[in-house]
Amino acid sequence: MSVVVVVITGLLFLGKSFTPRPPGVAQASNNEDQFNGKPAPDFELPQLGAKGKTLKLSELKGKAVVVNFWATWCEPCKIEMPWLVDLQKKYSGEGLQIIGIAMDDTDDQTISEFAHKMGVNYPVLKGSEKVADLYGGIDGLPTLFFVDRSGKIVEHELGLRSLSVIEANIKKSLGSSESARAAATQ
Amino acid sequence: MVVLCGSLLAQQENVSSQGRSYVEFEPLNTVVVRPGVITPVQFTFHVKRGYHINSNKPTTPELIPTTLGFTPPPDLVIAKVQYPAGQLTSFPFDPTQKLSVYSGDVVVKAVIIPQRAAPTGTYTVHGEFKYQACDNNACYPPKKLPVQFDLKVSKGTRKSTRPRPNRQSPNIH
Repeated sequence: MSVVVVVITGLLFLGKSFTPRPPGVAQASNNEDQFNGKPAPDFELPQLGAKGKTLKLSELKGKAVVVNFWATWCEPCKIEMPWLVDLQKKYSGEGLQIIGIAMDDTDDQTISEFAHKMGVNYPVLKGSEKVADLYGGIDGLPTLFFVDRSGKIVEHELGLRSLSVIEANIKKSLGSSESARAAATQ
Repeated sequence: MVVLCGSLLAQQENVSSQGRSYVEFEPLNTVVVRPGVITPVQFTFHVKRGYHINSNKPTTPELIPTTLGFTPPPDLVIAKVQYPAGQLTSFPFDPTQKLSVYSGDVVVKAVIIPQRAAPTGTYTVHGEFKYQACDNNACYPPKKLPVQFDLKVSKGTRKSTRPRPNRQSPNIH
C-alpha cells in the first residue's frame, strides 16, 4: 500500500515537473494566492528626481494604490506606461495613486530622464532586491500589484495585460463608495 | 515518504525566474591550439523556445545587449569576438516597433591567440554570456550564464613555410 502511495505521488511530481508553463502568455504570478487579500508589504524607497525624498507605502493608506515594478530595459513596460499615465489622470480625483518602482541597475538620472520622457505623472522610486523579495521576488516585468484603500492587495498581474484589464483592476482597488467611506473614517 | 514527495512537489511550484535560465550553452570539445597559431573557435547558445534575447546591437540604448567575455589564462588571448546579426522582429506588445533579437541558436565566433611562449598543457577557460530575455508579454531580469571550455596548448608538428633549397646528391651530374 505504501508503495502504491509513493508511486502515485512520484507520478504526480513528474507530471508537474514536465508541464511547461507556456511563455508569451500574461499570467498571474505564482504568488497570486500568497498575496491576494493580504496586506501589501510596507516599504520605503527613495523617490527619483525628488532630492533625497522617500516614499512609504503605508503613507498612502486611504488611497487605492497601483504598485508598478518596471525597468527601462523592459519593452512591454514602455507600452503600459502611457496607459498608467492616462489612468492616473482619470482616477486621481477618486483617490488613485500609482507608484512606479524602477528595477534598473543604471544610475538614477538615466531612470529619471527616461520617466520624464515617457510623461510619467506619478512618483518613480528606485527599487531594491529587498522590496522585490517582500513582493515574492519579482519574476518578470512589468508586474502590477493593485492595493485597495485599506492596504490589501486585491489583484496581481505579471506581464503586460490589456488596458481594459488594468482599468478593471483599478476600479476593483478603488472599491465601492461604501468601502471608500469606511476607509476614510479609519 | 508522502510528506517528502509533497514537499518536493511544492518546491517545484515555487521556482521563480530568478533561478530560471532562458539560454543554454552547448558544451565544446577540447580546443587544441599551438603557440603562435591563431585558431578560430565558435560558441553555440540555444535560446529556449518562446523567448528571445536582445542582439549584441539592440535598437535602443536602454536595452541590454548580449555579450560574451572570457578570462583566459596568461599567454592566451581570445579576440575578435563576432556576434551574429540580430533578427529584426516585432512583437505582439508593439507591432509597430522592430527589435533586434536572437532566438533559437546563436553562434558567436572568436579566435584564440596563444602567445609563442604559451606553455603546453590543458587549461579550463572561464567566461560569461550576458543576456536579457523576454517573451511576448514580459521581460526577465538580466542574467550571466557561466561558460567554460577546455583548451589544450600543444607543440604539435613543426611545419616550416619557408621554401627549402633544392638538395641534390653530389653524385648526380
